[in-house]
Amino acid sequence: MNRKFHGLGLSRLRTLSAFLTAFSTVFPAAGWADETCQSPYMAKITGQEDFVYVWTLGVEGLGDGQDKLVTIDVNPASPRYGKVVHTLSVGGRNEAHHSGFTDDRKYLWAGGLDTSKIFIFDVHSDPAHPKLVKTIDRFVAESGGVVGPHTTYALPGRMMITGLSNNKDHGGRSALVEYTNDGKYVATHWMPTDENLRGAQKSGKYADGYDYDVRVLPRRNVMITSSFTGWSNYMMDFGKMLKDPEAMKRFGNTVVVWNLHTRQPKKVLDVPGAPLEIRCAWQPNHNWCVTTTALTSKIWLIYEDERGEWQAKAVADIGDPSKVPLPVDISIASDDSVLWVNTFMDGKTRLFDLSDPFHPKQIYERTIGRQVNMASESWDGKRIYYTSSLLANWDKKGKDNEQFFKAFEWNGKELVPKFAIDFHAEKLGRPHQMRFGAYSLYAETEPTAGGTQVAAR
Amino acid sequence: MRRFALLLLLLLPGMAPAAEESEPPAPLPPAYAGLAYRLPEPGSYELPPLGEAGDGEVLDMDGSRLRLHELFGDKYVLLTFIYTHCNDANGCPLNAFVFHRIKRKMQKDRTLAENLRLVNVSFDPERDTPAAMARYAENFSNAGPKGEWRFLTTASPQRLQPLLEAYGQDIQRKLTADGKATAFSHILRVFLIDRKKRIRNIYSVAFLHPDLLVNDVKTLMAEEKRHAKGEAAERESPSALSGPGDDRHGYERVDYRTHARALASRKGKAADLVSLVRHPPLGLPPVPVPPLNPITEEKVALGRALFYDRRLSLNNTFSCAMCHIPEQGFTSNELATAVGIEGRSVRRNAPTLYNSAYSSLLFHDGREENLEQQIWGPLLAKNEMGNPSVGAVLSKIRSTGDYAARFRKVFGERGLTMDTLGMAIASYERTLVSGDSPFDRWRFGGDEKALSEAAKRGYRLFTGKAGCSGCHVIGERWALFTDHSLRNTGVGYRESMGGTPERQRVQLAPGVFAEVDRKIIESVGEAPPPDLGRYEVTQDPADRWKYRVPSLRNVALTAPYMHNGSLPTLEAVVAFYNAGGVPNPELDPLIHPLELSAAEQKDLVAFLKSLTGGNVDLLVADAFAAPVGDVGAGNSPDTR
Repeated sequence: MNRKFHGLGLSRLRTLSAFLTAFSTVFPAAGWADETCQSPYMAKITGQEDFVYVWTLGVEGLGDGQDKLVTIDVNPASPRYGKVVHTLSVGGRNEAHHSGFTDDRKYLWAGGLDTSKIFIFDVHSDPAHPKLVKTIDRFVAESGGVVGPHTTYALPGRMMITGLSNNKDHGGRSALVEYTNDGKYVATHWMPTDENLRGAQKSGKYADGYDYDVRVLPRRNVMITSSFTGWSNYMMDFGKMLKDPEAMKRFGNTVVVWNLHTRQPKKVLDVPGAPLEIRCAWQPNHNWCVTTTALTSKIWLIYEDERGEWQAKAVADIGDPSKVPLPVDISIASDDSVLWVNTFMDGKTRLFDLSDPFHPKQIYERTIGRQVNMASESWDGKRIYYTSSLLANWDKKGKDNEQFFKAFEWNGKELVPKFAIDFHAEKLGRPHQMRFGAYSLYAETEPTAGGTQVAAR
Repeated sequence: MRRFALLLLLLLPGMAPAAEESEPPAPLPPAYAGLAYRLPEPGSYELPPLGEAGDGEVLDMDGSRLRLHELFGDKYVLLTFIYTHCNDANGCPLNAFVFHRIKRKMQKDRTLAENLRLVNVSFDPERDTPAAMARYAENFSNAGPKGEWRFLTTASPQRLQPLLEAYGQDIQRKLTADGKATAFSHILRVFLIDRKKRIRNIYSVAFLHPDLLVNDVKTLMAEEKRHAKGEAAERESPSALSGPGDDRHGYERVDYRTHARALASRKGKAADLVSLVRHPPLGLPPVPVPPLNPITEEKVALGRALFYDRRLSLNNTFSCAMCHIPEQGFTSNELATAVGIEGRSVRRNAPTLYNSAYSSLLFHDGREENLEQQIWGPLLAKNEMGNPSVGAVLSKIRSTGDYAARFRKVFGERGLTMDTLGMAIASYERTLVSGDSPFDRWRFGGDEKALSEAAKRGYRLFTGKAGCSGCHVIGERWALFTDHSLRNTGVGYRESMGGTPERQRVQLAPGVFAEVDRKIIESVGEAPPPDLGRYEVTQDPADRWKYRVPSLRNVALTAPYMHNGSLPTLEAVVAFYNAGGVPNPELDPLIHPLELSAAEQKDLVAFLKSLTGGNVDLLVADAFAAPVGDVGAGNSPDTR
């Protein structure tokens, strides 16, 4: 088996974690993270991953109808390669969406955009059989009214969680919420609005207070957030929303640059049309991140200019924006050379050459299914996995509503299908976020040792 | 110019302040080195007030006495304390350099010259006499004649002291061996003061730049303009608190700017709601209170806690207030038709709760007769709050916080039952009575000035040519603006029987639209549910597409309009009726083309906007004061 792990043992991880907690802005962790889209403060799987954890939305009338964490064996050397090896139902339909590991990579936090619950799974004790060890069900009350925990992003010893909405009007004004790794509420950082910019500079016309994704560039002491829409829209039937002019006005048009260390918003950038996923470059001299706007179908570069000012620039169209292809998930290569961009409406994945980030060029495309949302690639860029679901009520209806997990190999020229799992046929639901697991991550961990204790549920 | 230039030249080489020798030389301040960043557009940011600017007695260059505040109010003021013997390059000369540049700008910028005053006050009254200040002023006369730059001093250190304290200027004298003051040690601060005599910004060396200062002055000028406009709008709609906190007014345009409010500032004060029911505002009849459900303070408080408690839904995500949002007219301005738990589609627009106390026809199809019963509709609807049964609701509330005890306190032995839950929530909703609008003050209060001329003309059309009051009735002593009937305007007919356009214009971003194929929209949307209006209650074909005639009170706050939210503005509603509605077999006989001119339609809208209640902000502020019930919030939140 080609398991490769870059060699941080438990004790080193612990020391590093403590060190980083104290000096979070000074040294990014030695371990560049998962597979290109995870926190830089995290150990990564550089070789073959063993599992993909798929955070899956329950569908009323399908199987047990509940949200679940589905574990798929993806190691070609395993006898169960290509099979679902474990499912764990969590109760209810919570609008399962994104998930992320703690910095020690022992726990997977998975959020529900509807009920605002956060489910914490132990993935290290037995990577093939994650266990639900804690459910945070007081997120809204503890955070002071933030609804819709989205990105769960590892910072040293803690999780930074983006909220999408609030409990006052179910609109898009929201906040970042911080929890400790063991699930204790720390702080709420409200997004800057016109009324209270919180010290940030409104660089253009918008300061909407919306939030979606978060990424960091520790060596520049920078945290970047994007903006989507509030509960009323992301929970609404997609067709109904498209026909409601008032609802279509409620999308985010901003990217906010924060001081990572102080958690203060510094600058609000205009990025119109719902900028969603953010991926920051990995190379040490690349002071930029990319995002794509869902509605206006563009790649935007968020970059630090020669004067040290952060700027936003639209650098490429994705497909034909007038057809609203709806770019959704993106995935950047670990050497920053290419970017995968999925477009939901046409079910395509598109590869952009990013060697000049100011002029990305599409160099490849392939239809993955009738609809496609998430993409996750391995650190070496050789394997890429896709899932189909966007949001429970935004997914296509009728026969277009394919629900799948598909594994591909990228040989440098084309995607070669390896296997697929039909989530309808398996009565699982709508597959969404994917995270990788590997035995190698925990190879040096004694079963009883735990760097982070998480209270029993 | 010569002398000033000389002054600068002398100072430039030693620009760094007298620093400890071990420290590296400080970088040039931005005023000399230039700004390292692009300034935001004036008016695009806020400069929150930092408190009142201090006052004190000062002397003008001719020796006359005046109060500093006499120089504030008519213009914006940039104020700096200086002394003429100062030679710290990052102190007074820097200020002089910056003010000189601003004065130069005033020569070309009339608005700036007319609205800004530069003021220097000396903190060395002993040497800086009025005559010395006049001589000092001559150094800068070459900046040009336009605009105002004042050089003031004080009569004595005693007169100066209160000013120094008011502006937090910590001055230390450097003394020679024989005790004479040679120089002052101070930190340069420049104060920006608005016309309300409030400090709006304080600048130190690190960000003192003429462009930045002028930018800030222009930002305050833009704010004043905005407020003036806002005040004009306020006269029409006297609610400052109403409107979505995430205001998207003008989003259609490419030059749209956000005006987002901060959620953290959404705070209010509890009101005496019971007295509103006992003494309804001007223009409203007595509030009907069912004899079996007398109104009490405790009951209203209990109902209010329940109304804002999201735990009343199956999955703890929905309170009544998630669709009946207080600042959005107790409806939702952000959705044409409502969205319920798990995002399920609701086919109609959430109706406002203002003055629902007077309605015996609840829901758009009038299928409920009182608020006590009505509340069970949303609680049990699968696409609204989604609770599976009456028992499940009661059992959940019983085990949530201290609700069980509060029900026993309010209802005695009956405690929490299907009836008492309805009685509690209905009692709060019943208090949302709203009148005393400009119209009421004019029509029922005899205040001729309460209504604009346009609104008065609109009133005449409303009760005359346009025939609106045929259904939206205005009485002799009060007005509810409804005849409590159900009528067919054709809006429902059009939705059921009309075709779907092949392409739909969809907005993607401010000023950005796309034409989207019907097929694409249908591929991601469920088919719209049928809606036949009153017919669904009576099964009488004559009742097809009939909906309740709503009150028009607070109608300016409750967009979008009609039972399906299909008309975005009051202008669109007036245009709809002016065109005679949508012809169909059951079209109400009172609806016909009105042939109103554009000016008449405008007047009608002005009249509709005069129906916003004077107590709206009281009710909204009270709602803001009500805590939101969420899992983990502990007790029922309102225990007042």
